[in-house]
Amino acid sequence: MRGTKLTKAEEARSPYLKFRTIDGSHPLKKFVPEAVVEYRAKYRPGGNVAFFNFDLAREIGLIPQNHPNEFTPELKNEILQTFSLLIVNEYDQLSGVKIEDEQLKPNTYMATRYLQLQHPCKKGTTSGDGRSIWNGQVSHNGKTFDLSSCGTGATRLSPACNINKKFYQTGDPSVSYGCGFSEKDEGLSSLFFSEVLKQNGTVTERVLAVIEYQKGLSINVRVHENLFRPSHFFNHLKQGSYDVLKRMVNLYVDHQMNNKTWLNVPKDQMQRYDFFLSKVSETFAKISANFEDEYIFCWLDWDGDNILMDGGIIDYGSVRQFGLYHHEYRFDDVQRWSTSIKEQKLKAKYIVQTFAQMIDFLKTEKKKSVEEFKNHHSLQYFDQVFVEWKLRNLMRKTGFNPTHVEFLIQSHRKDVANFREDFSYFEMAKSSKGPIKVPDGMNWNAIYCMRDILRELPQIYLSRGVQKHLGHDEFVDILKSKYATKKDVKWTLRKELKIKSFQSNYLKLVNAVARKFKMPVEKLLLEITMRSSVLNKYDRVTGDSITNIIQKVMSKKPKLTAEEIYQILKEFTSYQNLDPDQVHRQSNFEKEVGHSRMVKGMLQIVRDFREGL
Amino acid sequence: MKLILYSGGTAEANYDLNEIAVKLTDKISPKFSLIPSASYDAEVDFKFFVDEFAPFGVTKFQCFTVDTPYSKTALSELLKSDLIFLGGGNTFYFLKHLKSTGLIDELKTFASNGGVLCGLSAGAIIMTPHVHTASFPHFDRDENPFDMKNLTAMKLVDFEFFPHYKNSKRYEEELLFHSKKIKHPLFASSDGGGIVIDNNSIRFVGRTFQFYQGKKMAYNKL
Repeated sequence: MRGTKLTKAEEARSPYLKFRTIDGSHPLKKFVPEAVVEYRAKYRPGGNVAFFNFDLAREIGLIPQNHPNEFTPELKNEILQTFSLLIVNEYDQLSGVKIEDEQLKPNTYMATRYLQLQHPCKKGTTSGDGRSIWNGQVSHNGKTFDLSSCGTGATRLSPACNINKKFYQTGDPSVSYGCGFSEKDEGLSSLFFSEVLKQNGTVTERVLAVIEYQKGLSINVRVHENLFRPSHFFNHLKQGSYDVLKRMVNLYVDHQMNNKTWLNVPKDQMQRYDFFLSKVSETFAKISANFEDEYIFCWLDWDGDNILMDGGIIDYGSVRQFGLYHHEYRFDDVQRWSTSIKEQKLKAKYIVQTFAQMIDFLKTEKKKSVEEFKNHHSLQYFDQVFVEWKLRNLMRKTGFNPTHVEFLIQSHRKDVANFREDFSYFEMAKSSKGPIKVPDGMNWNAIYCMRDILRELPQIYLSRGVQKHLGHDEFVDILKSKYATKKDVKWTLRKELKIKSFQSNYLKLVNAVARKFKMPVEKLLLEITMRSSVLNKYDRVTGDSITNIIQKVMSKKPKLTAEEIYQILKEFTSYQNLDPDQVHRQSNFEKEVGHSRMVKGMLQIVRDFREGL
Repeated sequence: MKLILYSGGTAEANYDLNEIAVKLTDKISPKFSLIPSASYDAEVDFKFFVDEFAPFGVTKFQCFTVDTPYSKTALSELLKSDLIFLGGGNTFYFLKHLKSTGLIDELKTFASNGGVLCGLSAGAIIMTPHVHTASFPHFDRDENPFDMKNLTAMKLVDFEFFPHYKNSKRYEEELLFHSKKIKHPLFASSDGGGIVIDNNSIRFVGRTFQFYQGKKMAYNKL
């Protein structure tokens, strides 16, 4: 049964047979064997399903659409049989650990190779999935999804293995990441963070299941349409492996075509390469703009790790969402400092530059220096898309609907750019206290909460009329954060002029839309007010809030069941829905059911940390 | 004073009360403000609020949250409203924040100066002398998350109010019992119903019952 495609009759017999197609099979093993290390795996006993994402399981066809959000013994068993795995690694083989054949799963599972800057070899010959294996793929409704599990044992591709030149026994306490295990709080953090971001339009890996073991250990199962990262290509580029790279690119393009993520892909090989580069350039420009505008800190670097090919977030270990534009924050990774949120764009651009080098290599079979591509047209395209997206994002955040955004971008670009300049002035403002140490790095606090002014301003105009602008003190009183000192908010001529300019440019845009669409200004302001109140909700999750929420979930006594975590997650994420175009739930705050009370506690945490890191 | 106490229910059920509310402002282009009981759901409550009153031609709206820090400008704009609507939710949570911010006094002044003050469910209870009615019946009551002891409220009317009343034996028993312990009459309205006070006149819209010293009396829809 495993690895085979199911007939409809087979599917009808058991609702869970699709689990059995997830058996380590993946086209990468077949088409690019050089890109993987294959491991045999055995069932890992002692596991308990701590979380299962019923919605995601339905979305990828693992369970029927009408399946209730409850476990059956059969479902739990299928989850454990499919994902509670432990690889038989090199240490096991060299130390002669005896494993009976019947204990082993029939197929191999792959750890994939990719470039990682923390490895001593900067060409990616030894790096990749250090504690993960890919479970396989599952197809549903014309889309294929990749599944991988973190915490399934120590592979030869971990940094520890290569720095110390030895194979590690899985679970070796002398190394942390290199021991091959992962922990439940990592899985739950990724779960809560990714579900909130996904709901609000950010592309991200998602957590399908968390299987827990003793001592807080777990296997965390992730899903995405395609789990390839740029670093899956860059190692082969660095090594100059033309044939391998060509097969990788073709496999990726085919996957995107088959999933209908990419349409109208040219048939000609050279044109396919250009198409690929154009798509990558566009994707990375958009996500750079989105990360900046949503204050998402995702540590990008030259290796193309920590990000998926489609710009999706992967590995939530260092991912944060800031409450304000803390553009000086840097994460301290012991050996080095991370990039800042502002530098993400440059790193994303460098990733595109490396792709330009890679495509040129594929087209000419000659590998040139990456420096030769610093003026490549794909980078100009990147800049163009980036600026365009920044303008669009700001108009959307301001509260204009998609039609109005399109009109303003097309017909009032200069006015939009002027408003963006004013907006940035306040968004970028930093505390007069200067840089400070924070628990995991350093920061220089931003002082203004732009969400607050975008939320309040249209209501005030609606109330007092657009002729009566806010004065300096009124304006600052609304957008100042807890980080703003008296010195920060004191009157300056420049600030006064910027406040005037901000409002005059804001109203210029409002008036332009009102004129064009023949709407009374009041009606438009009301629409902006309504949209902005959702988009710029007072409480928005931050990295710190997620960390504290997970501590709350982990310490709950009695322990939360998988179903309870699912319900809490659903309720919590519904409060973090920042999409004004989605149908909203009926307010539920009057009810005092048990998990709602816990969610209230979580929302209080979100509130307490709303301006932080 | 111009006050409306809503029980609860849908926009359709509250149509009559909403129409009266708009008329009470006596303005061509009135400004309506919502104070939700809690800010966590504010944008959802605000949307319902706008959807309820926009069909009456109201175009100026403000949402003011009392359990988050607010600016002086926002407060000043709130108090310029023609109508302020206190939302439903947890009565104790709402009352605590109205008191701790001092807004409760500002709202009393607003009502005394001729502003229309409306309250729905928890918001309506807060307009009465105290919020005891949020504590019963045991099968349908608000939790008191801060264990508040001082339950005095706005005292804008000299009766108590019980929202979401269902004309059933178990509700009746609870309310009759409570009415024996209090000196004020207790009015209970079903969803869609409520009480309108326009200076010296009082009107009952929808189904409302009076419980007073252990006796129950029905008021017909007017």
